[in-house]
Amino acid sequence: MTVVGRTWERLTIPGKILAVVIPLGAVLTAGLALLIALIGGAVVQFLVDNLPLVRFVVAATIVLLMTVPSAFLIIYMEMKVIALMNLRYGPDRVGPFGSALSVVHGLKVLMKEDFTPTSADVPVFTLAPVVVYMSSVMSLLVLPFAPGIFGQDFNIGLLYFFAMGGLTVVGLLMAGWSSFNKYSLLGGLRSAAQVVSYEIPLTLSVVGVVLLAGTLSINKIVLGQAGSVLDWYVLRQPLAFAIFFIAVTAEANRTPFDLTEADSEIVAGFATEYSGMRFGFFFFAEYVNVFIASGLTVALFMGGWNAPFNWPWPVTVGLDPGGLGIGLLFLLALGPPVVIIVLGLPFYLLNSQVKFWQALIIGFVLFNLLAVAAVLGLAFLSFDWVVGLLWFMGKTYVFVFTFVWMRGTLPRVRIDQLMGFAWKWLLPASLLNLFVTAGAILVVNK
Amino acid sequence: MTTRTPYDIAAHASSDDPRITLEEQLGTFEPIPPYPPRTEREAEFYTLRDGEMFVNMGPQHPSTHGVLRVVLKIDGEKVVDLDPVLGYLHRGVEKLCENADYHQAICYTDPLEYISSLFCEWSPVMAFEKLLDVQVPRRAEYIRVLAGELNRIASHALFMGWFALDLGGLTPILWSFIERDEIVEMLAALTGQRMLFNYFRIGGVNGDLNHEFMSRLGTWMSKATSQINSNQALLNENEIFVRRARGLGVIDTATALNMCMTGPNLRATGVPFDVRRAHPYSIYPELDFDIPTRVEGDCLARYLLRMDEIKQSLRIIDQCLNEMPDGPIMAKLPRLIRPRPGRAYAAIEGPRGQYATYAISDGTDQPYRMRIHDPSFVHLQTVGLLMPGNLIADTMAIMASLDPVMGGVDK
Repeated sequence: MTVVGRTWERLTIPGKILAVVIPLGAVLTAGLALLIALIGGAVVQFLVDNLPLVRFVVAATIVLLMTVPSAFLIIYMEMKVIALMNLRYGPDRVGPFGSALSVVHGLKVLMKEDFTPTSADVPVFTLAPVVVYMSSVMSLLVLPFAPGIFGQDFNIGLLYFFAMGGLTVVGLLMAGWSSFNKYSLLGGLRSAAQVVSYEIPLTLSVVGVVLLAGTLSINKIVLGQAGSVLDWYVLRQPLAFAIFFIAVTAEANRTPFDLTEADSEIVAGFATEYSGMRFGFFFFAEYVNVFIASGLTVALFMGGWNAPFNWPWPVTVGLDPGGLGIGLLFLLALGPPVVIIVLGLPFYLLNSQVKFWQALIIGFVLFNLLAVAAVLGLAFLSFDWVVGLLWFMGKTYVFVFTFVWMRGTLPRVRIDQLMGFAWKWLLPASLLNLFVTAGAILVVNK
Repeated sequence: MTTRTPYDIAAHASSDDPRITLEEQLGTFEPIPPYPPRTEREAEFYTLRDGEMFVNMGPQHPSTHGVLRVVLKIDGEKVVDLDPVLGYLHRGVEKLCENADYHQAICYTDPLEYISSLFCEWSPVMAFEKLLDVQVPRRAEYIRVLAGELNRIASHALFMGWFALDLGGLTPILWSFIERDEIVEMLAALTGQRMLFNYFRIGGVNGDLNHEFMSRLGTWMSKATSQINSNQALLNENEIFVRRARGLGVIDTATALNMCMTGPNLRATGVPFDVRRAHPYSIYPELDFDIPTRVEGDCLARYLLRMDEIKQSLRIIDQCLNEMPDGPIMAKLPRLIRPRPGRAYAAIEGPRGQYATYAISDGTDQPYRMRIHDPSFVHLQTVGLLMPGNLIADTMAIMASLDPVMGGVDK
């Protein structure tokens, strides 16, 4: 045995790992440094030159990451709200009030067997959930969450949105066809018929809003509703709002239009043969679609991120930390311990059970809460997008609640009633709305 | 010494085993039987025309009310033809009863219609009493009627939830379980069981009214009407529900009578036939109640009629509680019963219709033959008339509106 071999034998397992990792890391770091030195400037120049592209990639990543928690939240909300309507408790075991149950569901779905039926068309079967999920996520890209907070401000944003929404049906049809299951096939074909029919009143109902705003960009439509609640398009286009909400419910395959996955008729529709994470993608996509549908309703009719009233007393915070000079350092060094002691002391003095270190911990927690509240409050006052985001999310979740509410109370319509409603009622009504709006604009502009 | 045989993969082939490669056909299943058609109807049914396909609805399907398998021949969404396949829940209850003595036979008939077990006991018990020619004490009759009407409400409440669930409503089933659960709990206090009560005995009932039952019943009766009304308001005023159920699965009076339909399904076509009035038994002649009828004969009428029956049952319970006499709850009978040779038929009005038992005695302590007539079986025959021409979504609604219980159908 060589010297190297003997030394290697004496090393413990962490030692062995470190002995490999440290030289490797050193070499890689050196290589990276060299790389940065050689082409770093060019890369930075490229990023600076293509800022919209960078912005798009970052926004797409954030949106993709954002879908999962928002879907979790909506799933939990649905479980809890429907449980309350059903006079049940709903989830109450995992996490506070069962709030972590949807996360656990996500983990369960990840760990389950990913089963492919023997006779399935494997590539299409595998691709279908991805198509469904991606189309949902991509339509989220043009949704303005707050002033300046959006993936991309296309000037054909609304058109892009409906195009992406229409792509969902391709995925559902793929799933229904490739599963080699008649229930799946029925579900897929139902979704195709339903989405294609409701696409028309959905798009036509929005044309009135587009005429009023004079743009297809969702961001500019939201900007056009700035002001108070009186400027929201729901008041100028009430019929369009009703049509849009019904049609968007059908587009998102939600009750009472959830024929594609009607469990009492066709088991689970297109998702019958899916299990594991592929089913998870469908499941997530459904709830992301609920979020998107609510968000779009808010953006088009409910003023988006605009507050429902004008705050008459503008608040400005003229904080200039640099003005304190050396005092800032003292403040940062002395402030926290003093505040912690001040906050914790009452607990120590008023309760003989509490030891001093426990009081310090309480004071520390309180201080942190205060600091977070202060930072958030400062952000709330200083950045308009924080306020906008809060308003947007608040309104959106009101609509999400409405979707959940409908699911808890309404039975399912029949396919012929569904189609008849779209073609006999919604389509003429949306056309009427379009003509009335166009006429009114002509008259006013004259 | 035993020798271990090596594990034979081929003999224990499972589709889960990664070592086994399956043939392509194994993943597919067509309901077409492998043998040549035996009848003309079978030949016609299993021939597919252009654009048609078979769908196996059941036996494992979320909403077939048990293990019914219906082979649907569909053209797009439209049902062209169908073939119900029964027997997945067959237990041979009638044969079991022939090998049990008269007391034991009651508990075999109990789980036939597991939603309303008391009626499954009532009819054989009445048949045996006719065989024995025994007079049931009046208090026992009152208790029977009281418990039976409670069970009828429980059954109809469950029907309401099921019907709504098959139409896609999530909430009504849980709301209807408010009543069902409360009734089942109070019957458990009375009989000792929640579902399969085994409470009626030949010549009376098993136990007298007790304090827990009476207090639960009193609490429930005080709020029952308002609670049931509020539960129904969720469906009766729902536009989607009414539009889906109205005009669906219409059956006219003549067809209903020809198909031997009874119970609420017949009364929904306008025939006021109720065994409690047509062939009175027990103390029903002394009680004051109406027989609700409706003339439409569609799913909505069948649903609304059952809801009306709940109110009549509440009236009956009220009268039973007011007029409950004192006295024994069991007739004096020997422990081992040997009726004289003869035959007896007893029919009662169950929640689903006329539930009847025909028993033959040969003088031993076991019934020589027992025939049980179950209304669910009769009503299930009509799906062949009602479903073709409707949509897939409506098959479930029609089935639910007929309210069959597969335990009773397959016996």
